[in-house]
Formats: sequence, C-alpha cells, structure tokens
Amino acid sequence: MLGWNVAIPEVDIGDDIFVVQDDNGTLRRVQVKTSTSTARKESFSGQFSVSVKNLRNISNILVHYIFLVRYNDEWSKPVIIRQDYLLDHFENNKVGSEAKGNITFYFSYADGKVECSGQDFTKYIKDFTDFPKIEH
Amino acid sequence: MDTIRINVNKQMDGYSFSITPSIRDFIKKLFPNAHPANNIFVGYDTKSDFEIYVGKLESHIYPALLGVDNESDLNQFGEIQFIDTQTGNILHKLTPRDEKV
Repeated sequence: MLGWNVAIPEVDIGDDIFVVQDDNGTLRRVQVKTSTSTARKESFSGQFSVSVKNLRNISNILVHYIFLVRYNDEWSKPVIIRQDYLLDHFENNKVGSEAKGNITFYFSYADGKVECSGQDFTKYIKDFTDFPKIEH
Repeated sequence: MDTIRINVNKQMDGYSFSITPSIRDFIKKLFPNAHPANNIFVGYDTKSDFEIYVGKLESHIYPALLGVDNESDLNQFGEIQFIDTQTGNILHKLTPRDEKV
C-alpha cells in the first residue's frame, strides 16, 4: 500500500479513479484498463482499447493509464504509463492501431517483459514513480 | 532543425499547451541547461487580456514550455507549430529567428 487515498468519480467522463495525496491535495487521475489473456507458447498477450479523444485530451493533470491482464486466475503486474508518454508512443513510435476513434494496444508478456508494437514497455511495469509512498 | 510541435488542447476554461516526452528529451540533449515543462495552462480570460496588452501569446509560450530563454539557443529551432490535438490542425506557426519578442 502506498498510502494514497482514492475516490471514484460520480460522473463517468473517462477517469476511473482520482488518487489524492491528503496532506497537500496532489491529485492523480487514473484510468484502469483490463483485458482477458490469450495464451501462447511460454507467453501471453492482452488487448486494450483507449479512446483517441481521451488520449489527446492533455490537461494540466495528466491521466495515468494502468493496464492489467487476467492470466491463469491472476492479474499481471500493472503496466503504468502516463498519458503524454502513451500519446508519444502512439504518435511517434507507431504503437497501437487506430480505428473508429479508438486505439487498440496489444501487449505481449514473456519472461517478465512486456512489449507493445515492437516497443519494450518493461520499464513501465509497476512504475510507481508518480505515486511515491506516503507515510501517515 | 526539425519542426517542433506544441500540442494545444482546448479545455472548458482555457488552453493547455504541451510537448511530448520525446521533444523534452531532444531539447535536454541539445541544451543540457534547459528545463522544458510538461504543459502550461492559460485561461481564456488571461489569454485575451494578454493579447490586448502584450501581444500574441504563442510567442511567449514556447520559450517557457521549451525551457529555453537564451535568444541564440531559441534561434536554433526551426519552425514551431501549435497543433490542435483533437483535430490535428495547425493553429499557429512561427520561426524564432523571425520573431521579435
């Protein structure tokens, strides 16, 4: 547990969770994406859909996307990517495929590594850089 | 130098100007003392007041966003485009060496 408080927005406009640092009001916006898995030889994959409009909606509080895959009755380790980094991958590294207003991202998991469209996303596994532990 | 793209997102109460992490990394490599920002928010009322009394906002946004204030450094940039993130349209473009701020 990292000690952050969480709140679920009453009205759904794209954010799943607001994460708040109580003592100073620091706010993080979080969008959780889950997927079933497709098993492969010694690996598995998951598929996620992200709204292009939401991804491009850069505001002063960036969204953190958290990607989770259900595999063998367990959740994979979270892949945590801040909005501007995911948008950068999409626009400049050809990560994901766009259709009908959504981007589909295919994540491949093998040997503790994650790849998406040929890009190594391993560095984003459990990347809690923007959620440092808070001591209460 | 390649074109620098500044993303402009129109929100309910103002504009968010931002650059991608790859541009931030590029600027830091080019100018190690630069401190590029993630994004800058300007309310609609602030923008309109600023443009009445001072001048075009974009000319003052890009040095702050790119974190580069030295004129000779700024002049090394080629074209800077302000892009509407939702439509992809170019809202404004400028070349620092042609600017007089």
